[in-house]
Amino acid sequence: MRFKRGTVNEEIPTASMADIAFLLIVYFMVTTTFAATRGLDFSLPQDEDTPLIDKEESVLIEIQPGGVLMVDNRAMQLSEVLDYLKPKLERNPMKPVIIRPDETAEYGYMVDVFDELRQAKDKIGIEVKNVSIPTQREIQMFWY
Amino acid sequence: MADIAFLLIIFFMITINFEVDKTQVYLPKTEIRLEIPKKAAYISILENGQIRVSSGEEISVPVAGPEDVLSFAASVVATNPHKAFVLKADKSVPYRFVDRVIDALKQAKADVIYLLSDQETVDTTATGG
Repeated sequence: MRFKRGTVNEEIPTASMADIAFLLIVYFMVTTTFAATRGLDFSLPQDEDTPLIDKEESVLIEIQPGGVLMVDNRAMQLSEVLDYLKPKLERNPMKPVIIRPDETAEYGYMVDVFDELRQAKDKIGIEVKNVSIPTQREIQMFWY
Repeated sequence: MADIAFLLIIFFMITINFEVDKTQVYLPKTEIRLEIPKKAAYISILENGQIRVSSGEEISVPVAGPEDVLSFAASVVATNPHKAFVLKADKSVPYRFVDRVIDALKQAKADVIYLLSDQETVDTTATGG
């Protein structure tokens, strides 16, 4: 009777490698979320002595519920705002623009207006440098 | 085969971005969209005014109101004064909720706020605008 001599396999078994790799791929594919990671930035003043913006000198954009815009007490379409601002900015590039949404106005309209102002450089060739969105507390503290 | 598989694994490992805030909101659409720094603190405002916060390290937790946002933001700013805050608010939320959160961030001396938004698709056929 002949005995077969046991041979030792010298290679590392890699047959299941692809299985493990695909398992990991599937795990990462499932857990990956292409989350929205972009948005509008809006820097806040850091100094205590923030320059006070004079209400009379600035352009006031009020946003009423439903998205109605009142620019310096005149009803206006969003697309008209930059054309209205252009001559003022040509005279004074630091012209302050204040966005003041009504308490009940939807947040989306405020973002629309802010986005429009940020596009000023592309649309009218002048940057709106001085945009402020005062909060209710600031309005009460400094304006009244 | 395994090479390609590992290539894909590496791709997914690099691009993976663990979402700290999983709330579903309808984001406003903007044309200007800047990349938000990684590990930014998140503040989400749901349509009903409910607020959730996350310092960017862990899953967001609900808070009772804007007063809690102030204490949260103050503690975040204390650990990192240049931390970016991301405001993830529903586009139909009444502005007063957003106003109070921004006010809390201003009081906490936050450096920069990002208003999270979706890409606006530009309609080239539209006239005006």
